[in-house]
Amino acid sequence: MDGEGQRATVAWETGTLAPVDRLRTERADSPTPGLVEGTEPGAGGKSAMFVHAQSFEDLTAEAEEEALRGAELDKSEEDCTEELKALEEQHNNDFSSDGRAKEEDVSSEAWRSHRKHVFVLSEAGKPIYTRYGTEEALSSTMGVMMALVSFVEAEKNIIRSIHADGCKVVFLTKSPLVLVGVSRTCQSDRELLRELQYIYYQIVSLLTLTQLNHIFQHKQNYDLRRLLAGSEYLTDNLLRRLDRDPGLLLSAVTCLPLASSARDVVSSSLQAAKAKSLVFSILLAGDRLVTLVRKKDQVLHHMDLHLVFNLVGSSSSFREGEGWTPICLPKFNTAGFFHAHISYLEPASELCLILVSTDREDFFNMSDCKRRFLERLSKRSAYQTLKDALKCPSYSVAQVGIPELRHFLYKSKSSGLYTSPEFPVVYESDEEQERLMGLYQDLHSCLHHPTRPLRSFYRCSETENLLAWVTSGFELYLCFSPLATKALAVSAVNKLLKWIRKEEDRLFILSPLTY
Amino acid sequence: MSAMRVDAKVVMLGKESVGKTSLVERYVHHRFLVGPYQNTIGAAFVAKPIQVGEKVITLGIWDTAGSERYEAMSRIYYRGARAAIVCYDLTDSSSFQRARFWVKELQNCEEFCKIYLCGTKNDLIMADRSVRQIDYHDAQDFAEEIGARHFETSSKTGSNVDELFQAIAEDYNDTAFQYMTEDTGVDLGQRKDSYFYSCCHNN
Repeated sequence: MDGEGQRATVAWETGTLAPVDRLRTERADSPTPGLVEGTEPGAGGKSAMFVHAQSFEDLTAEAEEEALRGAELDKSEEDCTEELKALEEQHNNDFSSDGRAKEEDVSSEAWRSHRKHVFVLSEAGKPIYTRYGTEEALSSTMGVMMALVSFVEAEKNIIRSIHADGCKVVFLTKSPLVLVGVSRTCQSDRELLRELQYIYYQIVSLLTLTQLNHIFQHKQNYDLRRLLAGSEYLTDNLLRRLDRDPGLLLSAVTCLPLASSARDVVSSSLQAAKAKSLVFSILLAGDRLVTLVRKKDQVLHHMDLHLVFNLVGSSSSFREGEGWTPICLPKFNTAGFFHAHISYLEPASELCLILVSTDREDFFNMSDCKRRFLERLSKRSAYQTLKDALKCPSYSVAQVGIPELRHFLYKSKSSGLYTSPEFPVVYESDEEQERLMGLYQDLHSCLHHPTRPLRSFYRCSETENLLAWVTSGFELYLCFSPLATKALAVSAVNKLLKWIRKEEDRLFILSPLTY
Repeated sequence: MSAMRVDAKVVMLGKESVGKTSLVERYVHHRFLVGPYQNTIGAAFVAKPIQVGEKVITLGIWDTAGSERYEAMSRIYYRGARAAIVCYDLTDSSSFQRARFWVKELQNCEEFCKIYLCGTKNDLIMADRSVRQIDYHDAQDFAEEIGARHFETSSKTGSNVDELFQAIAEDYNDTAFQYMTEDTGVDLGQRKDSYFYSCCHNN
């Protein structure tokens, strides 16, 4: 059904991997990494930084519930090819060109053969966003999409997806918006749906859901592009990240490797620079988290954090001066704006400080918090250690000492953090990296299958052997050279977990602070 | 680094992509960044000291995003501003309409804010006169009508940019001096001018 039958796949029992009776032993004494949540390598102390939930399921659950409410409608291939043809004909019929950089002939073969399209439209069928080409040129195509949604809805049903011609069309209705993904990848509907949710929340983070609802209640026909003008590149970038960033796949973030003593000093300096309205202080080094201090009892959802990462990473705007911008963290609260003070510690530095405040009048207070933090930090040697750490933001897989191991992703579930070495030479090119990420995505889909979830999965191919393993404490994805054997893979897991345990001080944030 | 002291709050206003950020970049960092257009997110603040006679005045410049999305927020950026640089693109007549909107907004909400009407991208006009959409004299007339000063600048070449900010600083210095002498008078009914200390201190 999923087209996975032909693959050389073996699922196997994992009971022998770690002695069960030692699961609960103390972190310090335990040479065997815990398999249970909270004792795995990288598990933060008692207070996790992020909203604690079964993150992946948490993300997709909503949509699935909705879908289950209406009787499931998985159309057969024959039914749908017709509709898809109609869609494609629409592409042929309408094209217009103006001078946008994004401009691409939507009737061309090149446009049609993009691996993954994403469209956002209003319930009135008005185009809001397209990943490729211009919205204007696609207005009738989006009209057809809306027609499909309404047609099925009229029968008291919900359209979830259409599978046809090597193509998956996935629908996500989030009133007042409709999101449509068209993919030629082998990702599951669920994965695609999750990506659409990210795009939905990206839009909410700019406007708030309250404003969004308000606008469409007053004017159904509103052209939302007016309000989103200039934000398209944020969505473009987010889509790129979804293809490439393991953090978005794992619903986790990764940290800058840093000696725990230095990280503690940075954290406590940040903790000391507090203010009444301050809710989160986040220090980033590029795409990596250095530390995060939060108000007691307030936790951040990793999705919100990824949206912040995307905002900061996509724009050079914050290099210009101190940024001050309203931002909605949709997983925290879709109704209101926080106000973020965003600035780099030094002009050419990678270190970016984000201070999230509840008060829009508090810019100068936040600016002062930054100054105090920097003052305190500059006096300590930890600042130099931090700067030195920036020079090697990643590590080589060779450090682990498993010859056949090429790459891995390890996520500690309770802390919401993951670690991964840099890509080895074999995966140096962008295409190869995306291919490997595609393989990980595949494994991830299998482990998190809605009806038949797997605990582990071993897969051989001509180019690499892969092993994925999930316990209640962690998720692990390993990539071996094709010469490696299953026995070797199994023994590698233990060795790797021990290595991560040994390095966890450096790779994870073990003692997150609150104000 | 000591706590930031800002004498005069200056706010940049105008339609998106007229070149507000480029203007600030040119003035503060003396550079013009070539590359794909990147819109400002929210607003960016930068403090810049400027020499006026023997005094040093620190301008606190708020570079706001032109996007309609942030319009509701704009009030917090221009409140208490001593100067507003209202920008329009010399090659885009719709941006002048937007400039009129901002002028009206300022006149209604910020009576103590002096307006500097600024036509940007003058280098494009120099290269090809036919691309000009806003006549110099029309803009000049409008400026006189609203009591604003009028500049045409190019962030690419730097033309007139320093002059614009110098004028702001000098005007500020003059009016600050005026207030000072007024303050020493015996006018008991003088209005309390909270804008004197400008920006940041009024929360």
